[in-house]
Amino acid sequence: MTGEVLRILLLVLQLGFLALLYLILFGFARSLLRDLRSAEQTQRASRTGIGRLAVLESPDDEPPAGRAIALGPINSIGRNVNNTIYVEDDFASAQHAMLTFRGRSWFIEDQGSTNGTYVNGHRIERAVALSYGDELMIGRVRMRLER
Amino acid sequence: MRLTWRSLELRMLLPLLVLVPLGFVLTHIAEVEKLDPGPLGLAIGYVAIMLGAHVVLTLSGHRGDQLLLPLVGTIGGIGLIMLNRLPQDLAGTSALGLSLGMAQTQLLWFGISVVAMLVVAIGLRDDGILRHYKYTWAAGGAALLAITFLFGTELYGARLWLNIGPVQFQPGEFIKIVLVIFIAGYLAENRALLSGASLRIGPVSVPPLPYLLPMLAIFVIVMLIVVVSKDLGTALLYFGIFLTMLFVATGRRSYVLIGLLLFVAGSFVAYELFNHVRLRVDVWLNPFADPSGAGYQTVHAIYAFGRGGLFGEGLGQGLLPGVGGNFPAIQTDFIFAAAAEELGLVGAFALLSLALLLVFRGLRIAMLAHDDFSAMLAVGLTISLGLQTLIIVAGNAKLIPLTGVTFPFVSYGGSSLLASFLVIGLLLSISHRSALSSGAGA
Amino acid sequence: MIAINIRRLGVYLLLSFAIVSVGLSYWQVVDAQALASRPDNPQVVQARRTALRGTIFDAQGKVLASTTVTDGLARRAYADPAFSHVIGYASLRFGTTALERAWDDILSGRADPNPLRDLVNDILARKPQPKDITLTIDQRLQDFAARQLGDRVGAVVALDPRTGAILAMTSTPTFDATPFSGDPGSAAGAMDEITSRKNNPLVDRARQGQYPPGSTMKVFTAAAALDAGVITPGTTFEDQPKQETDGFVVDGFRITEHDLSPVKPALWPLSEALQVSSNIFFAHVGLELGADDFLQYAKRFGFCEPAHIGSGSHALGVDPSYVTRPQDGDCSPFSDRVELASAAFGQAQVVATPVQMALIAAAIANDGTMPHPYVVRDARGHAAKPANGPSKTVLERYGSPGETRVVSSQTAREVRAAMVDAVEGKLGRLYAGAGDVSRYGVGGVHTAGKTGTAQRGEGQAPHSWFIGFAPGGENETPRIAVAVLVEGGGSGAGLAAPIGGRVMAEWLRLEGE
Repeated sequence: MTGEVLRILLLVLQLGFLALLYLILFGFARSLLRDLRSAEQTQRASRTGIGRLAVLESPDDEPPAGRAIALGPINSIGRNVNNTIYVEDDFASAQHAMLTFRGRSWFIEDQGSTNGTYVNGHRIERAVALSYGDELMIGRVRMRLER
Repeated sequence: MRLTWRSLELRMLLPLLVLVPLGFVLTHIAEVEKLDPGPLGLAIGYVAIMLGAHVVLTLSGHRGDQLLLPLVGTIGGIGLIMLNRLPQDLAGTSALGLSLGMAQTQLLWFGISVVAMLVVAIGLRDDGILRHYKYTWAAGGAALLAITFLFGTELYGARLWLNIGPVQFQPGEFIKIVLVIFIAGYLAENRALLSGASLRIGPVSVPPLPYLLPMLAIFVIVMLIVVVSKDLGTALLYFGIFLTMLFVATGRRSYVLIGLLLFVAGSFVAYELFNHVRLRVDVWLNPFADPSGAGYQTVHAIYAFGRGGLFGEGLGQGLLPGVGGNFPAIQTDFIFAAAAEELGLVGAFALLSLALLLVFRGLRIAMLAHDDFSAMLAVGLTISLGLQTLIIVAGNAKLIPLTGVTFPFVSYGGSSLLASFLVIGLLLSISHRSALSSGAGA
Repeated sequence: MIAINIRRLGVYLLLSFAIVSVGLSYWQVVDAQALASRPDNPQVVQARRTALRGTIFDAQGKVLASTTVTDGLARRAYADPAFSHVIGYASLRFGTTALERAWDDILSGRADPNPLRDLVNDILARKPQPKDITLTIDQRLQDFAARQLGDRVGAVVALDPRTGAILAMTSTPTFDATPFSGDPGSAAGAMDEITSRKNNPLVDRARQGQYPPGSTMKVFTAAAALDAGVITPGTTFEDQPKQETDGFVVDGFRITEHDLSPVKPALWPLSEALQVSSNIFFAHVGLELGADDFLQYAKRFGFCEPAHIGSGSHALGVDPSYVTRPQDGDCSPFSDRVELASAAFGQAQVVATPVQMALIAAAIANDGTMPHPYVVRDARGHAAKPANGPSKTVLERYGSPGETRVVSSQTAREVRAAMVDAVEGKLGRLYAGAGDVSRYGVGGVHTAGKTGTAQRGEGQAPHSWFIGFAPGGENETPRIAVAVLVEGGGSGAGLAAPIGGRVMAEWLRLEGE
């Protein structure tokens, strides 16, 4: 093995090392950017100071459990795809409930659903003020209001 | 508890299986000038430690951030490649019947540190122990600092080492974490006060007294570090961490500005009063005035950067480690210059980018945290790693006076490694808790 | 609230990392070349201690500097002290100077003259291949010039006015550079010994000596004024004959003439004024030209900024020459008319290097176009046995780096005629006749020249100057231009002119061989 061949080999290995390093770096950068985008969504909601709905339980996986849904000031919830928050659940009605931010607090109101709307396990009869951490039940979908 | 596959973490860890051994092979071929891969035990051991940590996290159902470990693993891998390529008798352990070379010792510390990281990441289910005992932590930190001042040994002109039996350790690295815990607790508790109006003295708006007092206290401590332990880097680091956390808690740039002015003024006084400070600054301003004396390290670090150029001299082929026999502090303070010489600007930039991504990741954890204490803690811990990297790299590149802080995960040293992995453990635990409480997997 | 602050913090950190990256780029890319040539860079030290270094040949292929490697230790030997200033030395202890420094990358083989090969070598980290270089200087002329200076303190610069090729450039006293390449200890001893001698031998008076040029400056003043059109070869100044004896009062300051005897003052046009070297005449010419034009022409002729021999990274630096007091690396404006009038005959604040004065002569000789000087003719493959002459493999040829037109060719012809008269004319013979090449056995050609006697302070002997070129006749093409300076040598006619004449005659003779 002459010196020249060895030098070329070392050069190739060195460039390979750097190339691999950059592949890894780009991998990190990509995941980071993807997360940043989703973080931005959750953050947009928190910046308006209103809140979000964390999906705790969802048997039919729409919305998927684990997702945090950013909230606007007025949110309709139901099985109809035209709702702000679309709930794919056999026990939910087409127009199930309205979640609105009025003044300084959240209110939820049932829209005449078949199976009713539950807050912390209690079925509601009229518009109810919510606080952060309260659990909502729409059909079989369990969600928590968070800041 | 539901088992979550940490598939992203695994996917990002797998390239290490190639990267680290490739680096070892490259340095070995360059050294013996023969087509011989050389021993790969350390490289494989290293990757095994990282993959093992992944398995433990997965089995424990940990839902913390999945990019921290791979990022740290990559940065540390490059560090181990560099340490393995340096003369192995620069440092090492010969205690407890063991006789280990430098890279072997570092790998041992990697193992210990990763275990410590896992214990914190999985074991710390509740941050109450941090939050509620912040004054106890602070007292412990102060005590450690005092002990170092009194009984510490001096090395390279700075007193920052404590000898405990056979193990020599650097309390500064751990005091840093305690400091972050204390400040996070203090700021989180008093956040109500800070949103209130500030005191106005004439045209200058001054932070309300509860903020002013700890600020001054920390300033005094920092200056004490400069004077007693002669450790400019640590002082800068502590003060930077404090100011950054204050900024994040209050959003007031004026606090930072006041703090910086104080620091500049303090530094100026220190420059006038203390010879060692003056020497450091003078060397920084003109290292070429005494290239074979005081400016020796700086001058040769710069030469090493220059030799590296764009694509580097090649792993294992740099000259810096051999300058003057053994270049002083190459395995700690100048590991970055050595890496930049062999990997070039391209490699140095990659290393810096990895560090920056780690910082971004830490900030993201802070953003997603559900309570103020966790957010402030995550910011402080992240900044401690980020600032330390900036300080040592900028010092190597003569952008600021050279100081003796370590490059997290890269420099040789058990204390630094252990402290840095504890930080990662805490970040993992914070992100795990916010993932649980929001029900969102990260 | 915290989230926004954290986001801001992220931006600040990104900026900080970007700044650090820029700092790194500076060292690793922008400044990398400069760092790589610093003498205490281990890259350089390691290479130099053991590595072969290219040979330096004269124009005839004679060895001037060569390196032998014995027992893994390289030693460089310098053959001829007459070249010590232009070649300099390559020392482990003291680094490199002059050509050894400017051409270090080629001589050490760190760089290849061909940029493509250079890139390939760099990428493959090939072992440096030292290259040899050939100078334009002919050792025979160089030694001749050095012998003419003898043990006087001074400098001779000779160049081919057509190309700018340096033919001889020597400075006295000189020194032996060979001991500097030995082990650091004995090198330091040799250095101490040399610096303790008087008239610091390490100074290259040709490139670094800044002397008042005296009357040789009148060549410049005449060329500038003719070119600007403020005088013609026939212009005379009515008051001049009377002022030759009474003095010329400018703004209350009396400018007096030097000792003209045995010539009697008369109404002189340019040729006669140059022959007798009338200060009064040229004071008038300078005032006619005016301060602005004087400065502008001076800059065109290369005053007021550092000059170079060769170009680019391989250029050999020449200290700047000034016509007024230097200010921020430039000439300050003239302070008054007295200074302008005195500068016109080479006194006041005017200082010039011998290289600069040789270039002025060359510009007149080359039809008004000043050649840019160079001293390295080519780079070649390393010859294993230097004594047998340079290798046949020429890697790169270096010609003239360029030229600058400084005055019109009409002006150059008029000044040339006056300069020939200054050497050969009825009056001129009395002053600069000793510069005539015909006196040294070269017949059939004319010589152009001008002497200078630069006054210094009280009680100090003036510097003796001569600039000229040959052949200088109307239909002849000049092949050599010279500048001779002898520190404290008295009148230009006495010492510098005969040296100049002899050097030119010797070259014309050598060329004919």
